[in-house]
This record gives sequence, C-alpha cells and structure tokens, in this order.
Amino acid sequence: MPRKPNNSRQTRALLAAFLEQAQMWRHGYDLSKETGLKSGTLYPLLMRLSEQGLLESRWQEPERSGLPPRHVYRLTATGLTLAREQELEAVAAERTGALA
Amino acid sequence: MNAAPSRFRRWAVALARHAAWVLPSAPSSWAQAMRHELDYIADDRAALCWAFGCTLASYKARLMRWPRLSPRVPWRHLATSGALMLLIGLALQEHAASQTEPPRPAFDKTPCDPADVSPEIRARRCDPCGAKIAAEVIDHPAQGPDTSCVDRTAPTPPVPKRQ
Repeated sequence: MPRKPNNSRQTRALLAAFLEQAQMWRHGYDLSKETGLKSGTLYPLLMRLSEQGLLESRWQEPERSGLPPRHVYRLTATGLTLAREQELEAVAAERTGALA
Repeated sequence: MNAAPSRFRRWAVALARHAAWVLPSAPSSWAQAMRHELDYIADDRAALCWAFGCTLASYKARLMRWPRLSPRVPWRHLATSGALMLLIGLALQEHAASQTEPPRPAFDKTPCDPADVSPEIRARRCDPCGAKIAAEVIDHPAQGPDTSCVDRTAPTPPVPKRQ
C-alpha cells in the first residue's frame, strides 16, 4: 500500500507548528526551535511543501539595520486545510489509542 | 570586546556558501534564505550546526533534482542489481565446484565388445581389458592387435614382419 504523502512525523510536526499561528509569517530558525527539526530536515520539507503549493514564502525586511532580510513562511489555504485534516486525524488516533 | 568572528562562525559562513554553491540555480533563493538565517543565530556553535544542516539540505535538494535520482527508484534498481549479481555469483560458484573433479581417461568408458570373438574369450579379454590385450598381442602377433577397446588415438605398436 503506498504511503500517504506529507504524513511523516516531521511533516506533521511542521504543519502543526504552522497551524498554531496560522496567520503569522514564520522564520526557519524559529520553526526549527519549535519543532526540534534540524535545518537539514527542515529546509527540504519547506522546499517540498512550497513546491506543492501548501506554503507561501516572502522576504521580510530586517527589524534592525545591518542584518539581511529573512525568508518567512506561512500556510496557504490548501496547506491550512491539510494541516487541519492531519490535526483531526491525530486527535482521532489518540482517542482510539486511549480507548484500546 | 572582540568583534572578529570566531572560528565556528567562519566555518559556518563557509559551509553556508558551499550550500549555496551546491544548490542548483532554480531554488537559489532557498540557499540565500538559509545563509541569511545564519546571521540571526547568536550562538556560534549553533550557527555551525545550522550551516552543516543547510549543506545537507542543499545536497538533498541537488540529488532530488537530478533526473535519474527520484527518491525511491534508485534503491529499487540497486536492490535488484544486487540480488541479480548475488544469484549469478552463486551459480558460477556452483558451476566451478562441479568442475574440480579431474577428467577421467578416455579409454575407461570405452565399450569392450569385439565382434567376432566367442563369449568366453570376450570375458577373459575384457575384464580388465587393458593389460590382457597387450599380453595377447605379444603372445599371438599373427592375429594383429585388437584395437576394439584401446585408445584409438594412441600410437599402435609396430607389427613384426613375417619371415
């Protein structure tokens, strides 16, 4: 049976982190600290989700001078739907596990 | 206060540059994003770890964009090739093991069945046939050599002339 796409533990953790502050733009390093994902895992995931149209990104101007602009990310409407579905699935799975 | 970047920071910057170089041209904004993020990490060692991860991410992205390297196909091909090579190796080994017995002499299996000889003489001659045939040739040279069960490729002994 083929594996469901975007269903790995790391992807689910990332989508859950985005879902917590769905309307906010998030930085890579903040996401790394929140999810515990290293940059070697985080950036391939961000690239893939962005290619699939689940994430949107833009450059944010720095708050302090002398620093470079930062790349920031946010879920698209499709990404938001997927993240919510996965959250519901996770809750259902937890309930099933608790009952069993 | 020492404003010079530490050794870890310099390594981190070098790694981030390498990551940007590894990434193909299309997603170069990602390399820039990773590189810029480095400047927001205060701890130098954490920055080095971050840059190392970015380099790995760049290599992953580079491999994924290589047309013949999709994530699953190469492993399937490699596994199939490995299994085939193993099977061929085992077959060759078995074949080689069966070849270790030395070849038997050609006359060993030669049927000893002279046509115009009575059954008694045939039994006496042919069990065993090699040495007795030679003795008979010497005892009765007039009959000529019976070459029905000797190696035909071997040179025949000279027949003495009749007086």
